[in-house]
Amino acid sequence: MTDALSTNYFDLFEIPVSYDVDLVRVQHRYRELQKAVHPDKYANAGAQERRISMQHTSLINQALHTLKHPVERAMYLLQLKGVDFTMDNETTMDAAFLMEQMEMREKLESVREKDDPLAELDSMSADVKSNMDVMAEVFKQAYTSGELDDAREAVRKLQFLYKAKQEITELAASIEDEII
Amino acid sequence: MALLQISEPGQSTAPHQHRLAVGIDLGTTNSLVASVRSGEVQTLPDEDGNHLLPSVVRYRKDGVEVGAVAAQHAIIDPMNTIVSVKRFMGRGVSDLRLLGSKLPYHFVDEGMVVPRIHTSGGDVSATEVSAEILKALKSRAVKTLGGELQGAVITVPAYFDEAQRQATKDAASLAGLNVLRLLNEPTAAAVAYGLDSGQEGVIAVYDLGGGTFDISILRLNHGVFEVLATGGDSALGGDDFDHAIAEWVLQQAGYQGDPDPSLVRLLMHASRRAKEDLTVQTETEMSIDTDEIQWHGALSRDQMNRLIEPLVRKTLMSCRRALRDADINNEDISEVVMVGGSTRVPHVRNRVGEFFECEPLVSIDPDKVVAIGAALQADVLVGNKSDEDMLLLDIIPLSLGIETMGGLSEKIIQRNTPIPVSRAQDFTTYKDGQTAMALHVVQGERELVSDCRSLAHFELRGFPPQVAGAPRIRVTFQVDADGLLSVHAREENSGTEASVDVRPSYGLTDEEIETMLRSSMEHAEEDMQARTLREEQVEAERVVEALDSAIKADGELLTEDELNSISARREQLVEAKTGDDPVLIKQAIAELETACEDFVARRMNTSIRKAMKGHSIGEYAKED
Repeated sequence: MTDALSTNYFDLFEIPVSYDVDLVRVQHRYRELQKAVHPDKYANAGAQERRISMQHTSLINQALHTLKHPVERAMYLLQLKGVDFTMDNETTMDAAFLMEQMEMREKLESVREKDDPLAELDSMSADVKSNMDVMAEVFKQAYTSGELDDAREAVRKLQFLYKAKQEITELAASIEDEII
Repeated sequence: MALLQISEPGQSTAPHQHRLAVGIDLGTTNSLVASVRSGEVQTLPDEDGNHLLPSVVRYRKDGVEVGAVAAQHAIIDPMNTIVSVKRFMGRGVSDLRLLGSKLPYHFVDEGMVVPRIHTSGGDVSATEVSAEILKALKSRAVKTLGGELQGAVITVPAYFDEAQRQATKDAASLAGLNVLRLLNEPTAAAVAYGLDSGQEGVIAVYDLGGGTFDISILRLNHGVFEVLATGGDSALGGDDFDHAIAEWVLQQAGYQGDPDPSLVRLLMHASRRAKEDLTVQTETEMSIDTDEIQWHGALSRDQMNRLIEPLVRKTLMSCRRALRDADINNEDISEVVMVGGSTRVPHVRNRVGEFFECEPLVSIDPDKVVAIGAALQADVLVGNKSDEDMLLLDIIPLSLGIETMGGLSEKIIQRNTPIPVSRAQDFTTYKDGQTAMALHVVQGERELVSDCRSLAHFELRGFPPQVAGAPRIRVTFQVDADGLLSVHAREENSGTEASVDVRPSYGLTDEEIETMLRSSMEHAEEDMQARTLREEQVEAERVVEALDSAIKADGELLTEDELNSISARREQLVEAKTGDDPVLIKQAIAELETACEDFVARRMNTSIRKAMKGHSIGEYAKED
């Protein structure tokens, strides 16, 4: 590693460039890296050193975020292969998938009327989670065999699922808050 | 060329020199200052032996009173005696109205963004009032420790937003303190307990002060305090308990109408005493006797518990949310640390214990624990413990975003993201031919911008006209270790740029701070110059000292040419520092920094490499 600021996140954390990451190891390396660069270690240094320390710490935090995130990690892997997501306005064209998503939305909207909405949300969340696991497998297959278009399509679907999962969690949270 | 000085291996550059640093807990009700002296951390008392300084400031025609003296006049002189000023920090006039109609002060309302309170001693902002409290603590510390302070760690509620943090930092500048770090109060408390017991695991810090509530979930691991999630309410505290009791008293007394400021103070005072009594007793007598209201009665602990239960429940909802954000279950929490005077209320302890299913930790005085943690951190930051492994990794408490079409907030940095952090997002134009873009920076979790806190407005102007949707405006948010934000915008096709250090909409501008500093000094002009000179000299010392130890540690990273060039610039700076021209010193620092740019970056990379070296897989096996 020559320059931390231009190294990819996997190399920075000294782990293999792969969708599968050892999160325990990542977390451990994160602490080690922070001990080396965090601004608190440079509280007595000049403004320049403090600025550079902040840049590095920000980078390490960003790297941790990306490596831990199931969707962003996939996007990052594709970016390393030269896939540009920044101008990506297209969405998945898989009609069956979109239909499933719409059905799930409708279910989500009417969940409050159910007898036990929290249990309902738990099971929906588990469904989405397993769909995400399946989609992550699809991504890994496509990515490792160099089918970047397929991998990209999997990432789009992962994005959908991730968002749905967040919405389910949010809704569960607000229902829980009402009961407490 | 003068030779560089190198000290004994394993020792700091000046081993005998203990740097003076303090931790300050700037509280709603009381404030404290603490320091590490001969290896012992302690809060510093005043001449009368009092550790707590009531956070009360009284403005008179001929001067300012701070602390107990001021507090004695809270009832007879409510208009000029400012209490609980922390609740106004970083707030606008409209926010203050929401805090309740019972505020006794006259706010100067002339369309000013920063609310000012009218007093006999002039119109003052919350920042200035807080600065008075900080000045009092500073002079106590200087007197007790016997020397100039190198720096201070000042604590803020974890839930403080950008505006409140900035206002606190401004108050410190006004008080002439060098802020080493704004530290979150719960993190400080965890430090105080964590270093004491050297424990590992996930802990919760429940901090209920006079006016603010915080909950933080932290993971402790080999001296690293990693904040996982934080939540709370920056306008909920023990004052609200008093309020609830006062309302009850008014109701019991059958009082109709609007109580005047004196009566409000009196009632709040009586309510607070009743609350304190009920910490040890199960019932207390209350007696209010004024022209408007005569009432005598008993308040039982059960009754008080009922009155405060809705407030306690609100805190537990925040706890639940924080646990969820941290992705932690109740049973994973190994300890609950109690902070803040309001955690003395038995009902609070019981409910918190029930919620987390464990006995809360109360062994350190809840009033002092934050200041103690801050002092420990200050001692580390100022460099008194060079080999200290302790590291505090904080997070941002509330999401930061940008207003988009339709008044919606697009979040750029999500809450509970570790800081410092830098994150960018691309935006585009709405209309054809648009050459400017107004950016509105907001903070908060809600979808609608109108429900979030407005932090700053700025504009990116003068990019070439293009069809709608074609320009790519990259907005970058940078949050530093204190949780303070700067925003940068750049139109990628043309390279047009704009940036702001976010001075919150309700904050003070740099000019205002300078004016305040000037007006607070008798010989304003000379004093300002002296101050600027001193600041540059301190920075120069810092730079030289840091460079010397850098060369000592990693001199082998430099070629002889580089070393010569750096040494020459170092000489120049040392020379400039002895003069009295701050501009020259500044220049010399800049030149030295330019010469060092590569060296600093190389060192950073080396230390990263060192940190990563020599880890075997086995080490990770039993982690987490």
